[in-house]
Amino acid sequence: MSDTARNRNTWMTGTPRRAVLGGAAAAAAGFALAGCGSDDDGGGEPKDRKKGEKITLTFWSWVPGIDKPVALWNSKNPEVRVKVEKVSAVDGAQYAKMHAAIKAGNPPDLGQIEYPVVPSFLVDNGLLDLTKYGVAEHKDMFIGWQWQQSAFGKAVYAVPQASGPMGLFIRQDLFDKWGIEPPTTWDEYEAAATAIRKRGAWIETFSATNGNRFAGLAWQAGARWFGTEGDTWTVSIDDEPTRKVADYWYDLARRKLIKTIPDRQNAWYKDVQTGSIASWLGASWGDALLVGNAPKTAGKWRVVPMPQWKKGDASYANWGGSTTAVFAKTKYPKDALAFAIWLNTDPESIKLLIENGYGTPGAKQGYTTSQLDVHKDFFGGQAYSKVFDEASKGVDTSWKWGPATDTLYQRLGDAFTAAIGDGSDFRSVLKKVQGETIADLKEKGLKVKAG
Amino acid sequence: MRRVSKAPRRFTRTEARSARAASGFLLPFLALFLLCFIAPIAYALYESLLKVERTGPLGLGGETKQVWAGLSNYAHALEDDRFTAGFGRVLLFGAVQIPLMIAFATALALLLDAASARWVGFFRTAFFLPYGVPGVIASILWGFLYVPGISPLVEMADSMGWDVDFLGRGAVLWSIANIVTWQFTGYNMLVLIAQLKAVPGELYEAARIDGANAWQVARHIKLPLIRPALVLTTVFSLIGTLQLFAEPKVLKPLSNSIDSGYTPNLAAYNEAFTSNNQHIAAAEAVLLALVACVLSFGFLRLVGRRGKDGDNG
Repeated sequence: MSDTARNRNTWMTGTPRRAVLGGAAAAAAGFALAGCGSDDDGGGEPKDRKKGEKITLTFWSWVPGIDKPVALWNSKNPEVRVKVEKVSAVDGAQYAKMHAAIKAGNPPDLGQIEYPVVPSFLVDNGLLDLTKYGVAEHKDMFIGWQWQQSAFGKAVYAVPQASGPMGLFIRQDLFDKWGIEPPTTWDEYEAAATAIRKRGAWIETFSATNGNRFAGLAWQAGARWFGTEGDTWTVSIDDEPTRKVADYWYDLARRKLIKTIPDRQNAWYKDVQTGSIASWLGASWGDALLVGNAPKTAGKWRVVPMPQWKKGDASYANWGGSTTAVFAKTKYPKDALAFAIWLNTDPESIKLLIENGYGTPGAKQGYTTSQLDVHKDFFGGQAYSKVFDEASKGVDTSWKWGPATDTLYQRLGDAFTAAIGDGSDFRSVLKKVQGETIADLKEKGLKVKAG
Repeated sequence: MRRVSKAPRRFTRTEARSARAASGFLLPFLALFLLCFIAPIAYALYESLLKVERTGPLGLGGETKQVWAGLSNYAHALEDDRFTAGFGRVLLFGAVQIPLMIAFATALALLLDAASARWVGFFRTAFFLPYGVPGVIASILWGFLYVPGISPLVEMADSMGWDVDFLGRGAVLWSIANIVTWQFTGYNMLVLIAQLKAVPGELYEAARIDGANAWQVARHIKLPLIRPALVLTTVFSLIGTLQLFAEPKVLKPLSNSIDSGYTPNLAAYNEAFTSNNQHIAAAEAVLLALVACVLSFGFLRLVGRRGKDGDNG
């Protein structure tokens, strides 16, 4: 539950049902809080810090334990103090807050923004193009495709923090007990699903509202949902590779070989704890999630690579991952950038971030893969981060996100919800979302065409 | 504010002075009313008539301008079948849940009013208690009772061989109706009891002398006399139903059957805070308010007319 929703909720339903226009008033109050939508973008040029001047930068983030590396920075850089403000990452609340702050003209200096969401802030003119401040000289310190995620044209808008290369978490003990080999291809995965179903358990759930994971599956199959041609966005969600993925999962769902409950929710956790669901297509940050929510299954899990469409391929995908972005209104762009680079490349900082579980670093050096095996015991001593490290190398780097990803996820969620509800095939979902996404971008005043 | 006098005559001096004094007392209220009520509505209306125009390569880092949109946001909202489906859903919800809840609240109120003095206070409080639980918390509580694998209710049904899915496509709306009924029945009951308390005792005495039994007293004296309270609670419930938000919002992650436009309010919220289209959201909020307005006044006129045909209600 996001804070915004909670506050608005007390307006709307937490009071005796008073006024006919309460809804409008409350909704309007929500906007009123978002300021009066001033249209100037920044105005005065940011100034440089005078030598010896003490400043404070605010940083909105939700990474667990982010305050530790920040405290380290503050002890080393007394002149540039960074103040962390925790924001809620439930249901996109943090982005609602950032967008509202941009509208109101008082955003923080820095913010944590996930790769897929970066473009939606560019549409708002919310982020600073860092090329003016020498971001390019740090380019080689980061993994190429992650750098590209926030580079548009010649401009670079954010510093990579971490990614979430995908892998398959399996209950090795159950697979062994049932004599099932971990699947290496999607055909084998289907066979495994059938075999596990015969034992009364399930291999996986296909969650309707999990647009980001579905995007990862399409990404792996070679889809390219968004692209640009000149000044026009191209949208191709209903393309062949995505159709292949949609057909595959529709088939599994239709034959009841998988569940269709939402994942990472109570019912799913219960299934994972009891072994009723025996595997999870997750990402590198998922280790902490399993450790935290199914502690009694310790030692029984392993990580294997994501199944492939063709045997012997090594095509992988990414689910999640964040950047450290600098907001356009900051007074001290140079210092903000310096902090963002330090946070994500300094070995000590990375060490602290890894210990608290933030995904797979976006930096090329400053850590070893074995450092990432934080929960080795839970995975029976397996050096499981190697699997994610390999996956990271096999992520096709030409994937781009569009300018309204939050809306896209919502559209996918709604369409999958409807399809699972009435049993229609998943191709209809793609067709619907393709049309809706083009309309959504037009609505935002952008040039767009079908790709 | 000027005092409107019925008779066409000039104010006397004292009257003029007292009118000035009255308007002086009204000013603080008016100022607050304008600031907290009229201004947000006016602002929502204004926002709903604008749209954003973007220039520059790909719309990234270019100019953004707010331009006049006329009614295009309203057209967009009304063409969005998710939004209109949400309206259909809350109207269906209201048609079933409101009569049930009001009937239930009336029955409880009459029972407690007729009961002998013992325990009445306790039961009144017990029925009213759920209203003290915020909607969000209530939804989380009930959510635990609905989610398979955790809910004892689902487990019990399972052991009897019933396959229940409270969060399934057909059931989830009624699961929400159950939460709302649980929350507001007691509150509505209390409003009705308050009006029952105001019924003069002589009426009951007269009824007893005429030989009326308890049932006849309830039917012919109490029910007609608490009519205004029944109308009031129904109108409140109608408006509340149109504004359904917290329950679907909380249950959404738990269920694969709630979409982002499940109720009009949820649609407006998601338009504003997920998609960052505040102009469309404003239009949706204004539409919602209009529908609430029309339905409430429509209902009031309907019962008002009926009241005049019957007794002098």
